[in-house]
Amino acid sequence: MKAIIKYLSITVLTLACSTAWSFDFEEGFKKVLKDGIQKKIEEKSDAATSKALLGLAGTSQEEEIAIGRQIAGNLLGASALVKDQSLQTYVNNVGRWVASQSERPDLPWHFGVIESNDVNAFAAPGGYIFLTRGLYSLLQNEAELAGVLGHEIGHVIRKHHLKILQQSSLIDLGGKLLSGQVGGNNQVQKLIGNGAEVVARSLDKNAEFEADRIAVVLATRAGYDAFAFPEVLQQIGHFAKDDGSVSLLFKTHPHPDDRLEKLGLVINDRLDDVKGDTLATRFYRIKP
Amino acid sequence: MNSIRLGAALFALLAMPVFAAETGSVIRADGIRVEPFRDAKKIATLSIGDKVEIVKKNGGWLLIKSPKGKGWVHMLNVRKGDIRKRSGNIGGLLGMASGRAGTGKVVATTGIRGLDEFELQSAKFNESELNLVESYAITRAEAQVFATQGKLVAREFDYLPSPEVSTK
Repeated sequence: MKAIIKYLSITVLTLACSTAWSFDFEEGFKKVLKDGIQKKIEEKSDAATSKALLGLAGTSQEEEIAIGRQIAGNLLGASALVKDQSLQTYVNNVGRWVASQSERPDLPWHFGVIESNDVNAFAAPGGYIFLTRGLYSLLQNEAELAGVLGHEIGHVIRKHHLKILQQSSLIDLGGKLLSGQVGGNNQVQKLIGNGAEVVARSLDKNAEFEADRIAVVLATRAGYDAFAFPEVLQQIGHFAKDDGSVSLLFKTHPHPDDRLEKLGLVINDRLDDVKGDTLATRFYRIKP
Repeated sequence: MNSIRLGAALFALLAMPVFAAETGSVIRADGIRVEPFRDAKKIATLSIGDKVEIVKKNGGWLLIKSPKGKGWVHMLNVRKGDIRKRSGNIGGLLGMASGRAGTGKVVATTGIRGLDEFELQSAKFNESELNLVESYAITRAEAQVFATQGKLVAREFDYLPSPEVSTK
């Protein structure tokens, strides 16, 4: 029981941290996290963490997918799919292969490229993942695509957005959803706020760093060049901070230079013996 | 005609070798090695802040030239400089192509929209697009076939640990 309470408070602390805008507040939290709490969360197997969190908030996989589906539909209302079936099938092949290397290989994964020249990618609970035409056009090979999708897959498997929803309105309604008192799109919509705003929210910085590490790992497991994803981060790091096409990305993510530094610290020599393929020849070039 | 020329310019830009004339600066002290391996012979040591010219990339390694010598350095120890200003060029060209102004504001007539918080907030559920994306779904087995065609072989690799939260 004591352990559960401790765990609960850790969870609440972590979630609270994710919306902390104030820098000082966040710095303070970092210190708290440093005292072993972050480690503890990381050490727990993902399955155990998810189960504990979802058990408490009462969101089943079916509900997770229903929530994600609603968010995905809204996102597509803002930006439609690029009408290129070969492209979309290709991206689904790469994405599904990468997702197959995760601990949630059997989610109904969906991937899409959407019509926006912004450089960004989005993940919704349950396995709905989108990247913009602007981001896709920056990519040089399949391994880079795998890395980008791997980052978003990381958000899904660690339930980063779901946790944000649970922390806000969803926490109250979770029980009702579970007991079948709430159904249909309108009800799910109430849970996720306005439109697809949840994908525009900033996650905790550590959630982004975690998704970066997962991107490298899943791409590596899938047989790709592990350093393709850092390469994408370097490309994105080249954008001027006031460039409109990266404004939302930069607003909601740590700067690519910080992300690369964090990756560098942890990768160290761990990938020295790992050789992977970039599959540049198979890469589907999007028509400009 | 104009659009053809623009397309050609855009293509030329996109097709540019990625590492042409790129520079970087060293963010972690590291040796210059004769080969792209950690235990290869070191010919010099780069210090933080040293400028290097990036010749090419090989996996996690960059072939660099610097006053201290030419050789291989790990890519994560170098922060690439912005000599090329790639973002501005591409953003600008794509912006022109889509009728978007350089400010990031959207010209409504193009049908290509930016994706800021407000647009995401006010987005309305699009059932047909959702059905479309779901129709592209690939099964695990199909993805396996796709991987095999690309000679990709799954391998085991542990998740990376969280680095110590640094307050430096």
